[in-house]
Amino acid sequence: MSAPHAPSIPGAEAGARPPVPHKALTTAVALLIPALVLTATVVVAMSWAAELPNPVASHFGGDGPDGFSSLGSFVWTGVGIGASLAVLGWVIATGLGRAAAARRTGVGTAVGGSLFLATSVLGTLDAQRGLADPAQAGGIDGVVLLCVVVGGLGGALAALLMPRDRPQPATAPVPSTAARVPLAPQERATWVRRVTGRSMIAVAAAVVAVSAITARVADTPAAAAPLAVVLVVLLAHAQFTVTVDSRGLRVRSLLGFPRLTVPADEVLHAEEVSVSPLREFGGWGYRVGASGRVGIVVRQGAALQVTRTGGRVYVVTVDDAATGAALLNTLTARTR
Amino acid sequence: MLFRVDPSSPEPLFAQIGDQVRAGIVRGDLTPGMRLPSARDLAASLDINLHTVLRAYQDLRDEGAIELRRGRGAVVSAHAPHDYRPLHEAIETVVRISRELGLSPETTTALLREALR
Repeated sequence: MSAPHAPSIPGAEAGARPPVPHKALTTAVALLIPALVLTATVVVAMSWAAELPNPVASHFGGDGPDGFSSLGSFVWTGVGIGASLAVLGWVIATGLGRAAAARRTGVGTAVGGSLFLATSVLGTLDAQRGLADPAQAGGIDGVVLLCVVVGGLGGALAALLMPRDRPQPATAPVPSTAARVPLAPQERATWVRRVTGRSMIAVAAAVVAVSAITARVADTPAAAAPLAVVLVVLLAHAQFTVTVDSRGLRVRSLLGFPRLTVPADEVLHAEEVSVSPLREFGGWGYRVGASGRVGIVVRQGAALQVTRTGGRVYVVTVDDAATGAALLNTLTARTR
Repeated sequence: MLFRVDPSSPEPLFAQIGDQVRAGIVRGDLTPGMRLPSARDLAASLDINLHTVLRAYQDLRDEGAIELRRGRGAVVSAHAPHDYRPLHEAIETVVRISRELGLSPETTTALLREALR
């Protein structure tokens, strides 16, 4: 098995892939912001040392604290996880970020992840300031909610602030080996296909059940907050409409996001491929895969893959992808 | 599903779209409950007038092939699931025999049209 992104059409991707753009900006946002946030977290947490119990409550169950550790170990564990997420996001953004979507995913992971951990550390400690016995600490429902909001909004904001890809019209003709749909000279055509993420819907149903039970049994309504976020994300992946027309490729979720657009003038070629979500993308959904391939993968099997200028590759799992790919090649070739 | 229209064809555009939906249902590409693209999206994709697509969809609704629902758009009717296999087999036979006889596609379709009149 060759590399998953390797174009099966020889000569279609001429020369080496271009360098990843915006590396300096991406590094500044993905590393500098988390570094500042996490440093501030350590400084603030340590300045509270005199007011905090020793050990501090580090883990909470339905009935309040159920895990304890020293202040230092609690803070450094949280900051360590935050820093790891930041480095992971930075590696994705600067290593694989030829597509804006990949850069945004990386930067969002870095900033959102470090903000989530910082809020979690400081929020948990703040709830224990002035206590002699950490077991006295009440619930942290509010902290959980705050973590989700701060991490989610911060990550989304950082991702949205990243520059979009500059226009890079293709100059090379569509390879003659790429599949076509025979069209009359005046004929116009479009290919529309809906793809349903059945596993996504099944998981969403399970999430609803689990969060309802958790909130009920543990009597901690906020425990359902992260699950509610997961639920919205899952529902956003429940159904996509894939459209190929003279304007290019468009993939749109039922909720409007995520979506994906490849304008016809930047298409190098399209083809049907077979995708293994777990092996090639590490999971299902809107994903950045190995070598920076951006994918909407909601199931195993046939997928429409588009190779775009700038070393960018997009893939969407959809039935009858061969027809969509052939039509995209045909309509794209008309514009050259 | 693939939609194609040819403005240079003598057949009106709305009829071309309608024929493709009908053929899609008969072929089994469009199954009951399946949603067609919204008229607005299809018109934009094919760079044709919205009313052309609406006319096609209204004709399809009038003959019971699709249902037009507010908010849900055009949905392939549930009561269209006939078994078209005998028709497919008959068409294959017609194609095979007309090829064996060396008839042009135009002649064969003309004969069919005549017989269906």
